Amino acid sequence: MDGPTLVERYFAMVRMRRFEEACLAGVPTREIHGELHIGIGQEAVAAAMIGTLRDDDALVSTHRNHLHALAKGVPAQPMLAEIYERATGLCGGFGGHMHLFDLERRFSTTGIVGSTLPVALGHAYAARIEGRDSVAVGVTGDGGANTGGFHESLNMAGAWRLPLVVLIENNEWAISVPFEESTATPTLAERAAAYGAWGRRVDGLDVEAVAEAFGEAVAHARAGHGPAVLEATCYRFRGHYEGDLDLYRPAGEKDRRRQEQDPLSLTRERILARGAATGAELDAGEEEAAAAIAAMLAAVRADPMPDPATARDHVFAGAAAQKGLI
Amino acid sequence: MNTGTAVRNINVSQSIAESLRLEMERDSRVLVLGEDVGLQGGVFGSTRGLQKAFGRDRVRDTPISEMAFTGMAVGLAMEGYRPVVEIMFVDFVGVCLEQVYNAAAKIRYMTGGRVAMPMVIKTAGGCIGSAAQHSQCLWGTFAHLPGLKVVAPSSPYDSKGLMAAAVESDDPVVFIEHKGLLLQKAGSFAHGAEVPRERYTVPLGQAAVVRPGTDLTLVTLSATVGESLAAAGELAAEGVDVEVVDLRSVVPLDLDTVAASVARTGRLLVVDEDYLGFGLSGEVVTGVIERLGPQALRQVARHGTPDVPVPAAITLEQAVVPRRASIGQAVRAMGAAS
Repeated sequence: MDGPTLVERYFAMVRMRRFEEACLAGVPTREIHGELHIGIGQEAVAAAMIGTLRDDDALVSTHRNHLHALAKGVPAQPMLAEIYERATGLCGGFGGHMHLFDLERRFSTTGIVGSTLPVALGHAYAARIEGRDSVAVGVTGDGGANTGGFHESLNMAGAWRLPLVVLIENNEWAISVPFEESTATPTLAERAAAYGAWGRRVDGLDVEAVAEAFGEAVAHARAGHGPAVLEATCYRFRGHYEGDLDLYRPAGEKDRRRQEQDPLSLTRERILARGAATGAELDAGEEEAAAAIAAMLAAVRADPMPDPATARDHVFAGAAAQKGLI
Repeated sequence: MNTGTAVRNINVSQSIAESLRLEMERDSRVLVLGEDVGLQGGVFGSTRGLQKAFGRDRVRDTPISEMAFTGMAVGLAMEGYRPVVEIMFVDFVGVCLEQVYNAAAKIRYMTGGRVAMPMVIKTAGGCIGSAAQHSQCLWGTFAHLPGLKVVAPSSPYDSKGLMAAAVESDDPVVFIEHKGLLLQKAGSFAHGAEVPRERYTVPLGQAAVVRPGTDLTLVTLSATVGESLAAAGELAAEGVDVEVVDLRSVVPLDLDTVAASVARTGRLLVVDEDYLGFGLSGEVVTGVIERLGPQALRQVARHGTPDVPVPAAITLEQAVVPRRASIGQAVRAMGAAS
């Protein structure tokens, strides 16, 4: 399949960045509560999935999930409304920023580190027993890769040759614990061998490199060869959550990485160097993306909050909610 | 409950296997996953014959990876399946509780009711002389977590009908068989011994008055229903007429039936094989008082497993777990003769 062009991927990344900045706007105003996890700096990994994943493929994401949802084609406005806790949100305001679900696009999340892969395994099993060539992508971070669910799920997918693609966003930090202090091997991709899986590590700031590797991982799983493990190295530009003082990382290093290793700037430079677009064209597209998200945010802010009278709904199906202990 | 059919001397695990077979026949979306559920048909035989009948895709032996296969059921439910996951012993749920209470129990709510979670977590509980790590009930633990229905049947009839209702339910159901009952033959049950061959359901959340009485309402569930009936038989000879209510499920909890009984008898004793503290017994007592007011109860008592791990030596277990003799003692201590 012909994937998006580099310019198209770049604009997807720009929309992702503006989207998350729109989320950041809701924190100091107390419109968004709880631990908001922002993926700024990790856009290239998400944007690389566009064009390879289909609606019938499943994507199970983490607490840092906005970028993956956008990459899966989850509509941005109900997403933003959910993150802003509005009744018009993807889940009516019952999920919130850590719990985005879009059944139609087989997109789901969990706020619990390491809990994505078991659920993705279920989607992979469904595809397998139905004879569909869909895949299930379970995203995890380098922290989540050290949970038991990672091993259990990959072992099962390997033993049963299930189309599970494990995408590890190795952003070097599990909250305050650095990767090299928490992990026994130099890479996570090398664990693939233990599960009979395809494995590769890729530069997660290079959207084209990730797209190519992700395409290979998905093709491997789609062809029925069993699971794949793709480790994309990247860097979390902000704290673990909004409000995290983030004193565990040297400020100088953060500044340097943001300056020199921003996947958006790197991609823009590559486009200009190749002459794939002019600076003026990119500027225009960036302005357009910013205006679209600003308009979306204004619209979302005008949306109603959920009716407090509905707070006990949805625990159980139908009338059972009235019968139960709630 | 009397269906007019002759007693088939099957055991409880066979009644459950029969229920699952009928559910799998009528709905191709029903799958069974777990350790030793396929080739062996379950360590208690409650999935026996299913793999042969429905194939390996639908009845799957898993590795010892509860977190992965429980989460797998969550993904399958989102794909439109109705998975039945067997956690061999309820005691093992700790390793996958994350998927149970953060995923299965919450996804319907977190999605604003847009995603159903029709899965059954089928497991065996109960104190059977297997010490601290293999003799727990834990239904109170699950009941405390919003979003899970919790069922613990006491008879072969209910085991079959409640399993059908659990599989049919669009909500996650924790179905706790009793290890001590699974291999017991129907003929040995004083209640619910007749198991029709055809499919039927016993609705979730409906308690049953298994023995009518006038002096005291004894509320219990699972294996202690049989123990309580036996105790009630002895007490009848002593002039105490005990009404035994089988809750059948912990969530939803049928406090209407319990309260109606207590309104007649004025005395309430809750017998719970699960840990006493912060559990089912306190919930039942409080719920009845909330409905009837404290003045409606002449007496209230609880008889549960005290808050200690279940001991290994059988003499120690007998000292802490409610059984026929201790239930009789608990009733006598209330001096309930009218």
